[in-house]
Amino acid sequence: MQLRFNLTLGAALVIAVLLGALTAGWIAPFDPVMDADLMSSELPPGGEYLLGTDGQGRDIWSRILYGARVSLAVGVISQIINSCIGTALGISAGYFGGWWDDLVNGLTNVMLAIPSLVFALAIMAVLGPGLASLLIALGLTNWSWTCRIARSSTLSLKSQGFVQAAKTAGFSDLNIMRTQILPNILGPVLVIGTLGIGTAILAEAALSFLGIGIKPPQPSWGNMLSDARELIRAAPWAAIFPGLAIFVTVLGFNLLGDGLRDRLDPHMRTRKA
Amino acid sequence: MSRFILRRVLQMIPTILAVVLIIFVIFSVVPGSFVSSLLAEGRNVTNAQVVSHLNEQFGLDQPLPVRLWDYLSGLVQGDLGTSYRTREPVWQTIAPRLWPSIKLALAAMVLAAGVGIPLGFLAALKPGSVFDSATMVVAVSGLSLPEFWFGLLLMYAFALQLGWLPSFGYQPGSISHVILPAIALGVSPMALLARTTRSGVLDVMNADFVRTGRAKGVSEPRLVRAHVARNVLVLVLTTMGLQIGALMGQAIVIEKLFSWPGIGSLLVDSVATRDIPVVQGTVLVIVLWFLIINMLVDIAYAVIDPRIKVG
Amino acid sequence: MLTRLGLMAALAIGTATAAIAQGETPQDGGRLIFTAGYGSSITSLDITATPHTQDEIFSKAINASLYSWDPVKAEPVLELAESVEKSEDGRTYTYKLRDATFHDGSKLTADDVIYSYNRLADPEKALPGAQQILAIEGVEEVQNGTADTISGLKKIDDMTFSITMTDLADPGWSLMSNFAPIYSKDYPEDKLASQPNGLGPFKLVNYVPGSKAEYEKFEDYYEEGKPHLDKLEIVMMGEAAARDVAFRNGEIDVNILGPVQYEAYGQEAGLQDHLLEVAEVYTRNIGFNSKVEAFQDKRVRQAINHAINSEVIISKLLKDKAYPAVSWLPTSSPAFDKEAQPYAYDPEKAKELLNEAGYGDGLSFSVTATPNESWGVPIVEAIIPMLAKVGITATVDPVEPPVLSDKIFADNFDAFIWSNVSGPNALEAMKCFYSKTPQTACNYVKFSNPEFDKLYEAAGQEADPNKRNELLKQANNLLLEEAPVWFFNYNKAVMAYQPWVHGLQPNAQELAIQDYADLWIDDSAPESRK
Repeated sequence: MQLRFNLTLGAALVIAVLLGALTAGWIAPFDPVMDADLMSSELPPGGEYLLGTDGQGRDIWSRILYGARVSLAVGVISQIINSCIGTALGISAGYFGGWWDDLVNGLTNVMLAIPSLVFALAIMAVLGPGLASLLIALGLTNWSWTCRIARSSTLSLKSQGFVQAAKTAGFSDLNIMRTQILPNILGPVLVIGTLGIGTAILAEAALSFLGIGIKPPQPSWGNMLSDARELIRAAPWAAIFPGLAIFVTVLGFNLLGDGLRDRLDPHMRTRKA
Repeated sequence: MSRFILRRVLQMIPTILAVVLIIFVIFSVVPGSFVSSLLAEGRNVTNAQVVSHLNEQFGLDQPLPVRLWDYLSGLVQGDLGTSYRTREPVWQTIAPRLWPSIKLALAAMVLAAGVGIPLGFLAALKPGSVFDSATMVVAVSGLSLPEFWFGLLLMYAFALQLGWLPSFGYQPGSISHVILPAIALGVSPMALLARTTRSGVLDVMNADFVRTGRAKGVSEPRLVRAHVARNVLVLVLTTMGLQIGALMGQAIVIEKLFSWPGIGSLLVDSVATRDIPVVQGTVLVIVLWFLIINMLVDIAYAVIDPRIKVG
Repeated sequence: MLTRLGLMAALAIGTATAAIAQGETPQDGGRLIFTAGYGSSITSLDITATPHTQDEIFSKAINASLYSWDPVKAEPVLELAESVEKSEDGRTYTYKLRDATFHDGSKLTADDVIYSYNRLADPEKALPGAQQILAIEGVEEVQNGTADTISGLKKIDDMTFSITMTDLADPGWSLMSNFAPIYSKDYPEDKLASQPNGLGPFKLVNYVPGSKAEYEKFEDYYEEGKPHLDKLEIVMMGEAAARDVAFRNGEIDVNILGPVQYEAYGQEAGLQDHLLEVAEVYTRNIGFNSKVEAFQDKRVRQAINHAINSEVIISKLLKDKAYPAVSWLPTSSPAFDKEAQPYAYDPEKAKELLNEAGYGDGLSFSVTATPNESWGVPIVEAIIPMLAKVGITATVDPVEPPVLSDKIFADNFDAFIWSNVSGPNALEAMKCFYSKTPQTACNYVKFSNPEFDKLYEAAGQEADPNKRNELLKQANNLLLEEAPVWFFNYNKAVMAYQPWVHGLQPNAQELAIQDYADLWIDDSAPESRK
């Protein structure tokens, strides 16, 4: 029962957020950029403006809907890229060992050790602001965690002998990695990946604050948060709602990730929680 | 063991070289320069003579390979170069920032591990329970809350409203100054640790050797003690090692907010002023810190689980 | 004709302080915690090596310059000299130094002044402070390497020396700069950045990079009975929201406010009575690059000025922490024309002008902007919808601060939004629109107008200050008509201070720069300040 609940609630939240992003053009009551009336800035939630207005007098609800497009793309796509790179490198390094392991390890250390914000900042500064640059900056710089975990889990699995057994049984390396190792490490990979969605969305906020995120006035949850930075007392709703949007999204993906992990885990189905 | 350490130390060299190279290349194409940062305030106009002499003095008029070669040959002799900003040796600029940074990273990690690991463990023992769901919500909040806001909330609550702790600043030897920034910094590793611990425990509990044990009638608590704890420790240690290693570079926002004189804020200031030698130097320090921590973690693996061969 | 300016000017410092203190008798002793809010670190304790305000805040406690800025009289006054005599041709000034001691115990002599200025000019050292002494005769030759020492500096005796200038301008305008202080010639140069030695009211005792500097009273300070404080602490706090908490919590004694805090403090009892406001000499503007074809037409530039509702931006985004700009020179400038009218918000007029100019069916450009809340991306975001209503498509080109200046100097922009210094020296400010001033100096928009050049040149040749100001006023009004930029606002700087703090001055040059020697605290200060 519980497993279903995870999966259902997670999927529901994720679908709701996705729907919001896709239908923003129809359901948003205002234009997120041009409907800016400074005379109605910092209005509290309620009335004409469902979630209030920001410092520029723009409707926060409309901006959240439109901002979902950017933020979901940034959060989800960059994490998918990261997880794929990290898993592939991590498993292969742990599995093959030797010079390949050394190389991957070195690369991972390089990526881990250079603070990702600085890395992303430099990439953004070179490529210029925009969604594509963001995906590159955040998608290529955060795979090392996944890689590390994947590698150490692979090592641990390898030491448990059944990889050797599969080898003796004549399975190919690729086959073993795919069927024997991948399912066993999917849990931690999903956890890191889904949690990383929030980190990526917030990294976009930090970059926005430094002036090189998404090109304003195009909304993203990140730049909405960073715009509201000074308004913590005067108009807290300008920060609370985009913050909640991030929270709901991250929660949704985490529940979904948990649910999927439980379904993918061959042992979990038989175990009574 | 000593062979292992030697090998790891040797392995650091290419890593360090790669970092130096990456930073050098990236920052040579990043727009803006140290000289343009001098003029960014729009207040003082710096004259052309000074600008060209500055460029000359720092070798900024030299081609990239020449500058890279000069830097590397200095580095081999232990010379990190001279800061464009302070005009002092980079090492002198970095040294006073080291201890505050380490202190903050360790304090944040103690908090994160002290709360995160037990939470994750307890959640995994009863997956799907109310406690488990609550932990999940706490963890997710920890990761979706911008550090800046969380830090400010802490300041409002514990400094302004309750008056228990100072809101900012660094005092050598003072514990009270480190608490708020450590909580603000530790909340995200705490969340990550809680989640990885939970997932790791669940994985191990379902692993064949535990199931076998359970089938043989070994009691749950004994199983947890004998197998789960040890196996999960590997995962937890990996995560912790990565976290401590990365915390030094991640503390940027928190250090700025709390006026904490660490490596992170030095790094950001140096990037903002394109003080490339200090950017290189701080990144190198962060890399070294990271590599050393992770070497220790790898040694710890071997101690905990002798089946994982080191080297 | 010999004029005597010195003594009177020196006396003026005393009256200025008294005017602010409102007759209260300063109390001696105690500790004050000042804030430096322009970043979380400083560049160098050697102020000649940096051009940043953040560093100036720290250096001001340690060092002194030949002149200083009198915030009340709004002009430079003698600081380290007792008197000055001007030669008949109006270019050579002879100074008699006052009795002053450096922190290391050595006495101020004419050699120190000559050493300090020569050091600034030394091309090998590449010191940004060199900018301040360019008007001294012979500096250029030293910079070019054709001379070893500045020919315009002459020692007469230990306490007397003369400076010869290249033009008729009062040397005080540049030599008052805190970036060109007097150092001791005998002090080792390699210690300037770590253990600075100056003539200022406070000695550095502890410096924690990235955190704070602690000072103590210098007993041999040259002004009798000053400084009042025993200890001074300056903390680096770049985050406005954090400063707000620390100030409300009584952890810091002064706080430079941003717009949001200004609005909040103005409404709160207990805070609103302790705000110091001043119209600073910065003009915030959007500069139109004359390489863009549309911007070559005056009507387009005027149309943009008409299309933007500056007042509503100032009241809503800047929370009235700014004064609407009329033209380039700020309201406090002696060359400001009080009759001049700013561009009215009039979208219809803007459309008309655009039609006349042939841009009736649209025009688009991008504005290069930093994240600054008062003169950056948020302002451009606000004008985008306003400009859209008259058919102009504006976009943002967001950049980090060093990239802004980089792009401007490389002529790689359509328009930029920036805050530029426009005073207190009106002639200097007007130079930024003189056609012979290069883009890299400060004619960022490459403005070129023969009529303006004529007025500017005439003002530069004019010895009579009133006549000069009259010419500059005409030049400034011409700028208003020509609209080389969108005139946005003049900054209103606001400093909040704790009720026990006294002696702060409304420094229009930069409010964060205070004369620490005049500051004092009263009995109501908490225990931690005693």
